[in-house]
Amino acid sequence: MNAVREPRRAPEPDKTRRSGPHKVGAWREHHAWSLSISLRRLGARPLGTLLTVAVMGVALALPLAFYLLLGNVQRMGEALGRNQTISVFMKPGQNAGMAETAASALRGRPEVDEIAVRTPKDGLDELAEVQGFSGALQSLDANPLPFVLSVKPRAGLTADEVARLVDAMKNTPGVDMVQDTGSWRQRLDALLGVGTRAVTLLALLLGIAALLVVGNTIRVDIMSRSEEIGVLLLIGASRPFVRRPYLYAGAWLGFLAGVFAVVLAVVLELAMAGPIGRLTAAYDGSVSFGGLPAWLLLAVPFTSAVLGWVGARLVSAHLIHRMASV
Amino acid sequence: MIGFDLVSKRYEGDHQALTDVSFQVGAGEMAFVTGHSGAGKSTLLKLLAMIERPTNGVVTLDGQKLNTVRSSDIPRLRRKLGMVFQDHRLLLDRSVFANVELPLVIAGVSPADRGRRVRAALEKVGLLSYEKQLPSALSTGEQQRVGIARAIVAKPAVLIADEPTGNLDPQLALEIMSLFAEFQQVGTAVLVASHDLMLIKRMKKRVVVLDHGKLVADVPATEVL
Repeated sequence: MNAVREPRRAPEPDKTRRSGPHKVGAWREHHAWSLSISLRRLGARPLGTLLTVAVMGVALALPLAFYLLLGNVQRMGEALGRNQTISVFMKPGQNAGMAETAASALRGRPEVDEIAVRTPKDGLDELAEVQGFSGALQSLDANPLPFVLSVKPRAGLTADEVARLVDAMKNTPGVDMVQDTGSWRQRLDALLGVGTRAVTLLALLLGIAALLVVGNTIRVDIMSRSEEIGVLLLIGASRPFVRRPYLYAGAWLGFLAGVFAVVLAVVLELAMAGPIGRLTAAYDGSVSFGGLPAWLLLAVPFTSAVLGWVGARLVSAHLIHRMASV
Repeated sequence: MIGFDLVSKRYEGDHQALTDVSFQVGAGEMAFVTGHSGAGKSTLLKLLAMIERPTNGVVTLDGQKLNTVRSSDIPRLRRKLGMVFQDHRLLLDRSVFANVELPLVIAGVSPADRGRRVRAALEKVGLLSYEKQLPSALSTGEQQRVGIARAIVAKPAVLIADEPTGNLDPQLALEIMSLFAEFQQVGTAVLVASHDLMLIKRMKKRVVVLDHGKLVADVPATEVL
């Protein structure tokens, strides 16, 4: 051991915590140290880390999978609803002029894309083409069919907007009856609304579950390191300093779980591609498969990291405060 | 540097650990606190380390009254202290270097400076070649020296040690105490709690004697036989 031969004097004060620039440097050093130590701790128990990440990842992937499913059902509904036509039957005895007047009135509405006026003769010709009807039609004395307006609503209308349009048609003078062949869209939209709400609530619940998983993992980690924390506090570490590696660990776990969830969702997308391709072919390509949007794939890991940080913060603040209390 | 002024400490359960203890230890002074088991030696150091607060009286560290110090100021004040424990309290999953480095990390010292200062501290305690070892690979005496290196690496104004030679053989104990005496020579106030009277006599430093929580003798270094 080397002998100290300096003259007796008070030890040099540690100048490292005095100046403003140094405070920034110290802050940076603390974070760099916390970041590296948190990674080393996670790497030191790979199985535990992997299990935590997997549990959280699956929990986060579930709402993503439902989001994917709902999105595609919605797309399918929109694609199939593109051919929606509303038939407006004029009252018996209405002539071509009256039917054209009603059509003109409806053309002025923003919800309407196009209107075709079908005469009673057009209707009779269509019926005649249907096998088995031609003989029956020949026995009729007069054409009993009314003028019919075939209305094609503008694309992208909601169920409510279509319902308002149907009401307006019913109230148009000379109109006897309105037949909306797209009422199934309303029911589908209502179902999608229920599904969207359910997915939002599920995402919320599973987000809380992910937060609790991180919180519990960090709690166990802190409890297992209580002696180390005691030493750190005794040699002058502040509570934020002690807490920081656990916050980083929580954020890492959250981020990795988010990445895991995104990978699972993408795998799910790929697994769905085959059946969806066959479905698309069955509808002559009018239905296409939509994947998860890029912004969501990017947002999930970062949101999950924030969740992990919050979970770690809630637990570590309480436990370390208790350990530091004099 | 260190001051106890009519300090009393009563624990829950009515155990009176200290009663009206008064003494000071200045910069560059080394003192032993001794007494039988339960005399109050450890309580005295706990008050100084802000692990406990006194029931009565005033404890001062570098001019700062510790009785009324806010919890948020405790870490800053503890950084003025170097603490050595009988059971070393080393982090067993970190290398010797990482253990000694901790006070400097807490102080926000840059990695380059940390490396230089850790190696200087390890060299001072004769363990420079052990920096990459885990503490569990070292002997008890070596672990204690790692604890001392950690205590002195940030150049604290005050060094306190609670039975630092309790588990060591007499020769090693003397070496450790000599090390403390070296820090005293550079202006550090050193307060060592020990019940090893033979060792205390050999060191010829000031001795504060406690008995049932009361200060019964304060023997200057010149009068230690």
